Amino acid sequence: MASETAFPLSTGEQELLDCYQALAHTLREHGDDLPPFAQRNAIKALAALWQVANGTGQQPGQVYDLGA
Amino acid sequence: MQTPYWNPRIETLDRPGLDALQLRKLQDLVAYTLESAPWQGDRLRAAGITPESIQSLDDLRRIPFLTRDEWMQSQQANPPFGDVLAQPREAAMRYHTTSGTSGGRPLAVLDGPKDWEWITEMWCYALWGFGVRPADTVFFAFSYGAFVGFWGAHYASEKLGCLTLAGGNMSTEARVRQIVDTETTVVCSTPTYALRMAQEAAALGIDLASGPVKRLILSGEPAGSIPATKALIEEQWGARAADTAGMTEVGTIVMFECEHQPGGAHIIEDHYLEEVIDPVTGEPVGYGEEGERVVTSFGRGFIPVLRYRTRDLVRRVPAGTCACGRGFDIYDGGIRGRVDDMKVVRGTNVYPRAIEEIVRRWPEIDEFQVRLYTEQGIRDEIEVMIECVDQATTGVPADLLKDLGRELAEAHEGLRFGVRVAEPDSLPRFELKARRLVDDRDVWGSTTGEKKVM
Repeated sequence: MASETAFPLSTGEQELLDCYQALAHTLREHGDDLPPFAQRNAIKALAALWQVANGTGQQPGQVYDLGA
Repeated sequence: MQTPYWNPRIETLDRPGLDALQLRKLQDLVAYTLESAPWQGDRLRAAGITPESIQSLDDLRRIPFLTRDEWMQSQQANPPFGDVLAQPREAAMRYHTTSGTSGGRPLAVLDGPKDWEWITEMWCYALWGFGVRPADTVFFAFSYGAFVGFWGAHYASEKLGCLTLAGGNMSTEARVRQIVDTETTVVCSTPTYALRMAQEAAALGIDLASGPVKRLILSGEPAGSIPATKALIEEQWGARAADTAGMTEVGTIVMFECEHQPGGAHIIEDHYLEEVIDPVTGEPVGYGEEGERVVTSFGRGFIPVLRYRTRDLVRRVPAGTCACGRGFDIYDGGIRGRVDDMKVVRGTNVYPRAIEEIVRRWPEIDEFQVRLYTEQGIRDEIEVMIECVDQATTGVPADLLKDLGRELAEAHEGLRFGVRVAEPDSLPRFELKARRLVDDRDVWGSTTGEKKVM
């Protein structure tokens, strides 16, 4: 996901990116096993955190395969 | 963090930084389109475009233009969405359409969760950039439906943490009363409807100018950047007004006016690559020259949009024209009209925007309509019909018709304008995308009543 046009990140921004990647990993590996309330809320959170990744100059790509 | 910017780092990038970001995003967009969007991908392949072939922003010009007609033909051949989708419809959670005010069948679009969140993100640039904050109460005078309109702004307001009021399915009186009762501080509407609400408030004996509304977010019509119209709105509401503009084809707004109110709107340049071209030759025009907007969007993945001919007329000026510190260039005067808006009357170019700019200098004029017609089968005429505030009781101010006619003529190379008073409440009122020009001209010499504009 890191990009050459990404910017130096603050500690808070880096932690949010870590959350984003952890969420994406969880949905990729365990999404189908999650109960609906957990899966759909995680997808909603992923869609929001995608904006953080994108807005800090990362290359988060597309996340349709994860439901977002 | 206290900041006037929604995304401080990006919004204050210098030009080389923005160029580098846009180039990388353009390469990513081309790669994604080739991989996931068959219809758009075929167009790129036919032009020999690969991600590697995009080495500078100048290479953008090798990508073919996309027109609304091409998109519409695809939609008609393969309804309801055409061949433009890069993802299966099962992945979508929003369906929207264009407004349909152009008279044709509206374009239909889809968005997934990430796209929708991005759509609201664009509105956040505008709301935050114009000073809207979590403590605000935001009222949307908007008929929530298939037209995307202020939908994204509504969710952006929620994202900011504002108290968000959905003013759909209400009469104008009910909207005005709710704005007052809830001590609303921000109102979102079209420019036309902002004036309509102010008129209604006056009829109800409500003094909006002394109320708590401090900001108006305008969208949907060019009037948000017409100085006279904007001044009238600001005076009647006792609030500051910001222009925004976008289009359903990209899902959301493309530009916004910041708190410094530079007389135009900043392009959200980290999410869009905007060109201004001569609408006839397709060649780029320089800063300060009027031309047609062409948009490439880095946002919505459901429908990749590359080099879309918007038909919007704009005049781009450097970011430094505004003192806000953003690196985003500005469309001076916002959307200045449509390429196909211009009418030629007895050899003189006439733009609806220019007429509105003059008519709105008279606050007594409540509503107006421009009518083009043919006299004696051989001569095109133009007239402006007006209705005044309290016309039924107080009539029309002396000299208004004469003065308005003179100013219109002076602004149009001496072209003679008729100015007439319409019956009270006879002219159409608009909530969305006002259409105040009626072209009823005949084809000269026609014996069958054929019209110049069908």
